[in-house]
Amino acid sequence: MTMRILAYATLALALSLPILPVMAAEPGEYLDRRSEIWNLFFRMMTVAFTIGTVVSGTIVWLCWRFRESHPKAKRTKYEEAGEW
Amino acid sequence: MVSGHSNMPEWVYIGVVVALLCWVGAEAWNIERLVEHIPEDAKLIKVTGQQWFWTFEHEDGTKEIGELHVEAGKAYKFEITSKDVIHSFNIHDYVVLLDAVPGRVNTVWFAPTEAGEHDIQCREYCGLIHYNMRGTLYVSEAGA
Repeated sequence: MTMRILAYATLALALSLPILPVMAAEPGEYLDRRSEIWNLFFRMMTVAFTIGTVVSGTIVWLCWRFRESHPKAKRTKYEEAGEW
Repeated sequence: MVSGHSNMPEWVYIGVVVALLCWVGAEAWNIERLVEHIPEDAKLIKVTGQQWFWTFEHEDGTKEIGELHVEAGKAYKFEITSKDVIHSFNIHDYVVLLDAVPGRVNTVWFAPTEAGEHDIQCREYCGLIHYNMRGTLYVSEAGA
């Protein structure tokens, strides 16, 4: 069920892209390649840095929260049983 | 729930990552498709790279060496090839960059928007004088 919801969500997101038809431009009206290329670059950079922030933030939080000296740290069941 | 806790956060994480990757791929594909579409009325310019200069041939047979004269407001299609080793044709200001490969014709287009002078340069190390394999793009006013 969860997988199905995720698959549909992914599909919906991908399909929501504004996929424009290649316009039959009037003579003298051309796509601005520079803008398109640089805008794509900036959008990709935004995604890349956002993901980088989330991933590195998650790792930092995990290290901080699950350190041995954290006030809420709990001994594992192996440690409690003296097995490790 | 085998390990006694919910896996939901993991699935959400995976879902978000997969969705973002799909978006990145689709967006890049879409822009590439738009950018690579050559306008019907683009004028042809044959570009030949050789150690260590660029030659340009216009539709009317006019040839230029190291200089390229075009008009603002018009679209131009470059057919790029090389006579010796691999070069790379680059007009940095207009984000034109494509390899010139011997025995092969690569195509790219651009439409200068305003009058001015721009650098043309080789972007693939092609030998001793590669650093000086430069040219100049002269864009004149429309109708000039």
